[in-house]
Amino acid sequence: MMNGRLDGKEITSLSEFFRFFRDELKPKGKTIFTPFNIISAPIIILGFVLIILRLVIGLGRPVTNLSQDFPWGIWIGFDVMVGVAFAGGAYVLTFIVYILRSEKYHPIIRATVLNGFLAYVFYAGAIFLDCGRWWNIVNPIIGREFGVNSVLFLVAWHFLLYMLAELIEFSPAIAEWLGLRRIRKILGSLTIGAVIFGITLSTLHQSGLGALVMMAKWKIHPLWYTEFIPILFFVSSIFAGLSMVIFEGSISHKVFGHQIDEAHHKAYNDILVGLAKICAVAMFAYSFLKLIVLVHDQEWSLLKTGMGFWFLVEVVGLVFIPCILFIQGSRHQNILVIRIASVLTMLGIIINRLNYVFIAYKWYLPFRVRYYPTWIEVVITLCIIFTEIWVFRWIVNRMPVLKHPPEWVRENEEH
Amino acid sequence: MNNIDRRTFFKLISSGIAGAIGGKLVTPGIAWAKGTNFHSDEFYGILVDTTRCIGCRRCEKACAEANNLPVPDINDTSVFNHERQTSVIQWNVVNRFETEKGTVFVPRRCMHCNQAACVAACLVKAMKKRKTGQVTWDENCLGCRLCMVSCPFDIPKFEYDKAIPKIQKCNLCWGRFQDGKPPACVEACPMDALLFGTRRQLLEEARRRIYQQPDKYYHHIFGELEVGGTSHLYLSAVPFEQIGFRTDVGTTPYPEYSKGFLYAVPFILVLWPILMLGMSQVTKRQQNKE
Amino acid sequence: MEGFTYIDIFATKHIEYLLVIFFLLTLIWLWKFLGRAS
Repeated sequence: MMNGRLDGKEITSLSEFFRFFRDELKPKGKTIFTPFNIISAPIIILGFVLIILRLVIGLGRPVTNLSQDFPWGIWIGFDVMVGVAFAGGAYVLTFIVYILRSEKYHPIIRATVLNGFLAYVFYAGAIFLDCGRWWNIVNPIIGREFGVNSVLFLVAWHFLLYMLAELIEFSPAIAEWLGLRRIRKILGSLTIGAVIFGITLSTLHQSGLGALVMMAKWKIHPLWYTEFIPILFFVSSIFAGLSMVIFEGSISHKVFGHQIDEAHHKAYNDILVGLAKICAVAMFAYSFLKLIVLVHDQEWSLLKTGMGFWFLVEVVGLVFIPCILFIQGSRHQNILVIRIASVLTMLGIIINRLNYVFIAYKWYLPFRVRYYPTWIEVVITLCIIFTEIWVFRWIVNRMPVLKHPPEWVRENEEH
Repeated sequence: MNNIDRRTFFKLISSGIAGAIGGKLVTPGIAWAKGTNFHSDEFYGILVDTTRCIGCRRCEKACAEANNLPVPDINDTSVFNHERQTSVIQWNVVNRFETEKGTVFVPRRCMHCNQAACVAACLVKAMKKRKTGQVTWDENCLGCRLCMVSCPFDIPKFEYDKAIPKIQKCNLCWGRFQDGKPPACVEACPMDALLFGTRRQLLEEARRRIYQQPDKYYHHIFGELEVGGTSHLYLSAVPFEQIGFRTDVGTTPYPEYSKGFLYAVPFILVLWPILMLGMSQVTKRQQNKE
Repeated sequence: MEGFTYIDIFATKHIEYLLVIFFLLTLIWLWKFLGRAS
């Protein structure tokens, strides 16, 4: 099988590039009718149709169940808030690999950065779809006007700049795919700057997503509302992102196993154990932060209520318990336990973010006026996720993400 | 002051205001407040005396007519059977409450907060706090609905069912104000339950009423200090939670709740790169030693 | 009358962000300069 331009020949003309790209568009693999494709393709197509419907008729029913009481639903709560938290693996791992220079996690860095980049691109798409007046979405960027007073202004700009930083971080792989040696060298030198910028931006927009709801003070149940929401969002994004890396990595290593060399396969268990330890420590700290907030705001009596029970489910059941599982799993090198812990953690993050948007948000309203997503909202969400996976798969099958970069990349340049 | 009856006082106030507005329109450069610091007492607002409101709903009708909204049937009293919120077609709604002091009618609309949460939330400044106090919505809005999440009174309403949706809320008749006219609801009220003026004037009048008739009023002006002060001020015969007001909104202006985070942002943008460059240098030396 | 002076608490945000951008650009130059000096 031709490995694109990884065979060393450089692309020197535009027509050569078009021919190369056209060849690359052909599907790889034995058959196009895999179980995943059969399920995801119709959903993707239906999703695109529904997106056009949404753009034409607006956000009202039947498209969404958003209401005057619940202005935000799963597109903000899940696609954006949960999606961005799950993409946090990129900034944590680039910090560990490029700032702390730990070689241990190097094999997975490109896949993680690629996932981070794609996540932000597609979740920016979700924001676009959620905007009721989407034709004005460029306004905060072009200065119509710069609402610098707004947390959302900051989040919007950070999304844009972060996508750029992630693209720069990933671009050496693209250059290697196209055989562009000189450009590859230049892009490699930009990596550390993009990494530092990316980590700084991530800190702010992970916490910024939490800061969005700070003015909804009495609308959010007191067990969840605290002046430290931004810090809690930031800390939880660490183990949310790493849990996603564990989860997604398990799937990638099976699906793309043929690309990964022997040494990487052997090292992978060590990587998982290492990630589990980091998660355990972050979750341990987070549990104590939640406890401190509970004590400081003198909310013990609220634990006896229905929402109090729900709070314990989220914090004890889906943060503290997976924390213990991560500790045990890493101690005994038990990959299955680590994987279970990562799934529980991700579930906890989903519940946590959705709480701030429509569950613990206006918890006092009766069931019949509450928000739950329509099937259209769900299908469009799935369409976005599946399309992202298709793009990820397309790139991993062609560019050096899980496989080794070409020979012409010198050792000390390799990123 | 004791001898001036309500009608005369109302006429004095509105002619004074009309004169002031007229004067300001004539000499714009001098009279408008410069810069970003101005005194909240000079914000225009409305004093709503619920002891005078009879629930005729003529203010609802006038509001709809003045702002190109569907005019409600104000003879239909069945609307009082449940507590209403403002909506995408009604910027102003009158609610009825049965209290120990009898039936109370309360017209509700945007409070036009001194430091409005919706204004702080808006990332394109579609929600603007005007120098004269009105909070208005503009067409450069993206429809992100963060203003709805942030508003302590849940006022902004979004037109979900339209392909080109707007945020609908009272704008204190901003258009009429620029023509030197008071809000339509104030003009339409037959009982002088609505008084238009600056916060200074309205607060003085509200205090005067409470002082002169201490048994008639509950001794509190809602909106004087709530959420840092609002342009709509309310007087009531009974405690405000009995007539549909949230009394737990606090006196802190809502933008203060997100100010802490926004202030930390430049600090992190400066410190994080320094920290990471430093760490990167230390690990580089360690790596070079190996 | 005890009203208060309404200060736009976000009035200086534009300048703050511009200062930060200026800082980051200058930092790149400073880092390179220190690298050359050592």
